[in-house]
Amino acid sequence: MGSVKKRVVIVGGGTGGLVLANRLPKDEFEVMVVDKQPYNYFLPWLLYIAFKGSRKPIKREITTLIKPWVNFIQSGARLINLNDRYVELENGKRLGYDYLVVATGATVDYSKIPGLSKVIDLYGNYHSNEENAWKVWRTINSIKEGTLAFILAYERYRCPPSPLEGVLLADEYLREMGVRDKVKVVYATSYPRPYPAEPMNEVVEPILKERGIEVTTFFTLDSIDADKGVAYSVEGEELKFNAAIVIPPHIGVNIKYNPDNVLDPDGFVLADKDTNRIKGFDDAFVIGDASALPVAKTGVTAHLQATVVAKILTGGYARNTGRTHCPFDMGYGLGTFVISDGTHGTVKYPPNRVNHLFKMAFASSYWSMLKYPELWDPLMEAYFNATAPEKLKNIYG
Amino acid sequence: MSQGNRITVDARGIACPGPITELIKAYRNAKNGDVIEVWATDPGFEPDVKAWISRTGNQLVELRKEQDKIIAVIKVTAKR
Ligand SMILES: Cc1cc2nc3c(=O)[nH]c(=O)nc-3n(C[C@H](O)[C@H](O)[C@H](O)COP(=O)(O)OP(=O)(O)OC[C@H]3O[C@@H](n4cnc5c(N)ncnc54)[C@H](O)[C@@H]3O)c2cc1C
Repeated sequence: MGSVKKRVVIVGGGTGGLVLANRLPKDEFEVMVVDKQPYNYFLPWLLYIAFKGSRKPIKREITTLIKPWVNFIQSGARLINLNDRYVELENGKRLGYDYLVVATGATVDYSKIPGLSKVIDLYGNYHSNEENAWKVWRTINSIKEGTLAFILAYERYRCPPSPLEGVLLADEYLREMGVRDKVKVVYATSYPRPYPAEPMNEVVEPILKERGIEVTTFFTLDSIDADKGVAYSVEGEELKFNAAIVIPPHIGVNIKYNPDNVLDPDGFVLADKDTNRIKGFDDAFVIGDASALPVAKTGVTAHLQATVVAKILTGGYARNTGRTHCPFDMGYGLGTFVISDGTHGTVKYPPNRVNHLFKMAFASSYWSMLKYPELWDPLMEAYFNATAPEKLKNIYG
Repeated sequence: MSQGNRITVDARGIACPGPITELIKAYRNAKNGDVIEVWATDPGFEPDVKAWISRTGNQLVELRKEQDKIIAVIKVTAKR
């Protein structure tokens, strides 16, 4: 074409950032990925470190996951200036852009709940890093009696089914260890029911009952005392525990924005729900967990949004459908998916063995999907069509 | 007496994890005297709001259906 290439800066080399980087045609775009660390982490596997003691590696070097023509800088971004169109790195270097894509994910913030840091120190969590996930593994291996509490601290967290996945996998493991009759497993949530979306809850609740898991609803965590072993709710209730695994509050990462009114109070970036454009800007987008959009924070969402943004950048028309497809491991080799989109509510999709197998197949293909979206797209499209909410609703209601 | 703030939450088109999420999120940051107005399309929102009100003891000022949305107006009264 002979025209000058457009310069795209992608901040964050996680799921969303890499899918997008690898999708942009090299003859039209000069693509730069910036990440503060050299690795891409497969965060969903923290669940299997925490509850199965899995030693499978969960990180890969970003440089091995990008196309040869994609550039990578390992550095944290500290300022994103949308008005003057540049990203400022930790060393003060500025990267100008024609298009910017923010894909910085979410991070956890223990300071929002008094007492939480100490609880995490003692018992771990499976929503932050490997070290904390290993602590959870030690927790479920050392509890022999009393109450093991799972507490959902905040409404926004990665992967909607993940708290209950942890609960169900812990139950399975404690039974295997022969201590389940002496350990009470409790799940506390601020929602009116164990799984927030009603149709899915109709699948989940009977399974929790069958496995003897107690549920405390309308429990919005206010503070937690590790020494006394008590969690306190905004509603004024107390929950006693011998060990507690808390799904910590998630917030946006620590980057300054100009203008700063593109951030919500928790540091997530405000965006248009159809196109992922950052509020008020035509040349800047935010995808994945970093956005303030009220959609499920999952890799699938990040992936689908990256696909929409890639289409828009290459001059096509594309809009988000709001499709969710969250794998839900229910223990004992059973799995389901939480499936919905902008026009269809969640499907009441009962678990089976094949779905669990699908989750495991995705997990093993994860890095290949990031690097070769063009090879996986046809398969993913066919799979997503076959499992479209309107189709499944005909079968399962 | 100081006048509370009015917070409007647009939760239309959200089915998973559900519009109640947006209410709880607004509630956490609200003070007694604030009014939270939530717009939703998910039909499950209506029973959820009622259950939430009866459990938390806040005040349901209004719950009505319009052609394209359900509107709940809640006065925050039960925060510690
Ligand atoms: C226990 C658990 C189970 C899960 N299960 C599933 C599942 O089964 N299916 C599913 O789809 N999703 C699942 N998820 C969610 C999924 O992992 C995330 O939604 C997904 O990783 C989001 O992708 P992202 O690109 O938005 O952010 P991330 O993948 O988090 O990437 C963000 C990147 O930005 C970088 N970054 C941050 N700050 C800066 C900065 N200042 N400068 C430069 N770079 C920066 C980070 O280093 C990181 O590499 C799960 C998550 C957890 C914790």
